[in-house]
Amino acid sequence: MIGLWDTTGSAVVKALAAERRTAGGVTSGLALTLIVVTEEAEVRAAEAAATVAAAAHPCRLLIVVRDEVTHPRSRLDAEVVVGGRLGPCEAVVTRMRGRLALHAESVVMPLLAPDVPVVTWWRCGPPDRIAYDPLGVVAERRITDTMQCDDPLEALRVRADDYAPGDTDLAWTRITPWRTLVASVFDASHSLPTKITIEAPPKDPSALLMGGWLTARLGVTPEMRPVSGNRMHGVAMQMTDGGTVTIRRDDGRVVVQRTGLPDRTLPLTDRSLGEDLAEELRRLDADQTYAAALAKATGRDGFQDRAPIRVHVWHDPALAERPDTADDAGRDTGPSGETAMVSVSGAADVAKVPDTADVARPAGPGVADGDIEAAGDTRAPGGEPAK
Amino acid sequence: MNNPLRDPQDRRLPRIPEPCALVIFGVTGDLSRKKLIPALYDLANRGLLPPGFVVLGFARRDWGDEDFASLARKAAQAHARTPWRDEVWDRLGENIKFVPGSFDDDEAFDRLAETLDELRATHGIEGNAAFYLSIPPSAFPVVLKQLERTGMSDNQKSGGWRRVVVEKPFGNDLPSAKQLNDLVDHAFTPEDVFRIDHYLGKETVQNILALRFANTLFEPVWNSLYVDHVQITMAEDVGIGTRAAFYDKVGTTRDVVQNHLMQLLALVTMEEPTGFSATEIRTEKLKVMRAIKLPGDISRDTVRGQYQAGWVAGERVPGYLDEPGVPPDSTTETYVALTLGVQNRRWARVPFYIRAGKRLPRRVTEIAVLFKRAPHLPFAPSDVEMLGANQLVIRVQPDEGVTLKFGSKVPGTTMEVRDITMDVQYGEAFTETSPEAYERLILDVLLGDKTLFPDAEEVEAGWRVVDPLEEAWAGTRPEPYRAGEWGPRAADAMLARTGRAWRRA
Repeated sequence: MIGLWDTTGSAVVKALAAERRTAGGVTSGLALTLIVVTEEAEVRAAEAAATVAAAAHPCRLLIVVRDEVTHPRSRLDAEVVVGGRLGPCEAVVTRMRGRLALHAESVVMPLLAPDVPVVTWWRCGPPDRIAYDPLGVVAERRITDTMQCDDPLEALRVRADDYAPGDTDLAWTRITPWRTLVASVFDASHSLPTKITIEAPPKDPSALLMGGWLTARLGVTPEMRPVSGNRMHGVAMQMTDGGTVTIRRDDGRVVVQRTGLPDRTLPLTDRSLGEDLAEELRRLDADQTYAAALAKATGRDGFQDRAPIRVHVWHDPALAERPDTADDAGRDTGPSGETAMVSVSGAADVAKVPDTADVARPAGPGVADGDIEAAGDTRAPGGEPAK
Repeated sequence: MNNPLRDPQDRRLPRIPEPCALVIFGVTGDLSRKKLIPALYDLANRGLLPPGFVVLGFARRDWGDEDFASLARKAAQAHARTPWRDEVWDRLGENIKFVPGSFDDDEAFDRLAETLDELRATHGIEGNAAFYLSIPPSAFPVVLKQLERTGMSDNQKSGGWRRVVVEKPFGNDLPSAKQLNDLVDHAFTPEDVFRIDHYLGKETVQNILALRFANTLFEPVWNSLYVDHVQITMAEDVGIGTRAAFYDKVGTTRDVVQNHLMQLLALVTMEEPTGFSATEIRTEKLKVMRAIKLPGDISRDTVRGQYQAGWVAGERVPGYLDEPGVPPDSTTETYVALTLGVQNRRWARVPFYIRAGKRLPRRVTEIAVLFKRAPHLPFAPSDVEMLGANQLVIRVQPDEGVTLKFGSKVPGTTMEVRDITMDVQYGEAFTETSPEAYERLILDVLLGDKTLFPDAEEVEAGWRVVDPLEEAWAGTRPEPYRAGEWGPRAADAMLARTGRAWRRA
């Protein structure tokens, strides 16, 4: 393990190369790069989950902790771990403070493993529009978690408005065991449901997606019955042949009741965050089933016409968080409103960002023309391509 | 009616079998305790068993359901791959039943048939059942007759599917294999017979097809123009253990060459199947198995060996003839090396060297494809002294993976070239920690997917290769080799005659 304090992006790249050399042949064959965007309070949970997922999917793990974007001084700390406490992957945990946190891609892009897919997971509230976060723009697959938001249902609608192929949400991943159970009902049955009721807490995005999925596949819009608790509780179906099927959670197991058949109990263990994440990493193409469920759940459509590649939109949360900053010694003379500044999709093409001198400028591996200089700020990364 | 909730696009939903029962004969045996029951637990833990699933054990023990359930629990706990969760076992354990009886006991089989019928009402299992015959082949006829007599093997009568799973040995030679195949195919229908070759359940073995047919890199050189020869090795460091009675009658060739190594050879040499269905793959495998050519002079181009006392893994081990239960004048081989050919345009004149043995230095199964040397080397001869042939090695076990060996410049001021090895291990390079072969195979039986199961014709094709060899070897004595060596000297000499050498596996 190498720890770097108050360092630069190029020093991190060198440290990773050095650490890989000394660790020997532990990591041959990478399947993907996983970027985890998180906050200091969630680092432990994110690391634990990523370690579990990395055991199943050999990856380079880049954990980005953003903190205090309004802090006047930018600072980068990094920890490079290869085959150590974060499992068999090669991992870089970076902590970014100040304006640098808004240009995290300048540190992350040179660290991406060459020519393997990039997956970005937000272990925090995702940006309103993924295009606001350059770490989402570089990724082929983007994993959000609306359960992390204050208003998960609203957050799910936001995700639907912003949807692009390659997006998924962990609220969807969490119901795979449930969907498996419900689907198995129809393996042996020859009738369809006329009415479906989903029992779930009122603010459960998973239940909403479950309803969307059933609507998309069966053409029956389920009725939601709110119950207390924090997880989906059950699904009941009235079948065309007059019978009923109910699947209900009951203390770590699930009881399947069906007219004419004896009750059956099955274990339904809650999966860990890591297992959910590992499921996400199994497929790196767009999940059309999720898109259909999300569309029905939120009443949005036109998903099939959306482009899978986003264009970065400059968005400065500092302006929103500290509206008076703009006047603060002229430090943040960022744009008012949004302007498309950077178009990034795999190969970065970085345009000038109208930040002031004490701000780190973004520089990615695609910056071969050298027209970006780290003016003013010594901590601006050198933009070395990952070797 | 197709299930409206299942969509090929929806790859998150695992395939789950219909409600069914698994009947295990010989449920108290080693295989059942070490492999089958733990595999069932792992499947349950991964959520891959249907809501209605019952395990029925059948054996000659005076047991109740609880006795069996507690044995099964111990077996699962000791050998399961996935973490132990009591609630998973509790659900599975509730649905474990035991039917005591011997194989010639009509009443016991009637009881078994009744128990299966009752599952319709109690568990919603509409007659689907798989019978796992984890019993010696000598007991097959009587068990199959019982299944036929009670109508348990009949799809129509039972109202669902009825499948049978048989383990190797699939006979002792071609006539006995045919007899056995006829027997099983008659009791059930040929489509419902699943022959387990657990090698085919291994991820790496399935990956041979992906490696060959999903890439452009390897197929162009996968022929006699570029390939010098192929070595297939299946080495074990263990001896015969307590299997003397079985092993002494069989020997290495019948035990592993006829099935595992023939399958590996077929997968490496077969042409591209037109599709990835069970029948398409089988067609190609059979074609190439029929093209296997035996050496003209069997006594010269094959070697049999028998281990003598020696040291393996730091322990003194006895010779084969001193193993308990082995007759002192046994001529059974514990090692075999073969030179085979494949008669088609792709493989003409490429020798396939196959070796298998016990008490070799380490446990390893691998397929090594050794390429021809470059036709011209523009280097000084002294600079390429250390350059060997390019090799692609598919390691089946342990440490499943692929290595590629090629020449590279030695760093420094001189232009020296030597071999280096590039190593990819599947365990880490490919998604999902590999499930046990039995998990995959049991699941496929319950789903009715026959891709990974050799059918009667493949078994018979294997015997067509092995039988003439056994005939030629009759009355000869195997060459001795010391335990802990890579087989007899004669095996090295067999390759040395053509200027080749065994790869140290």
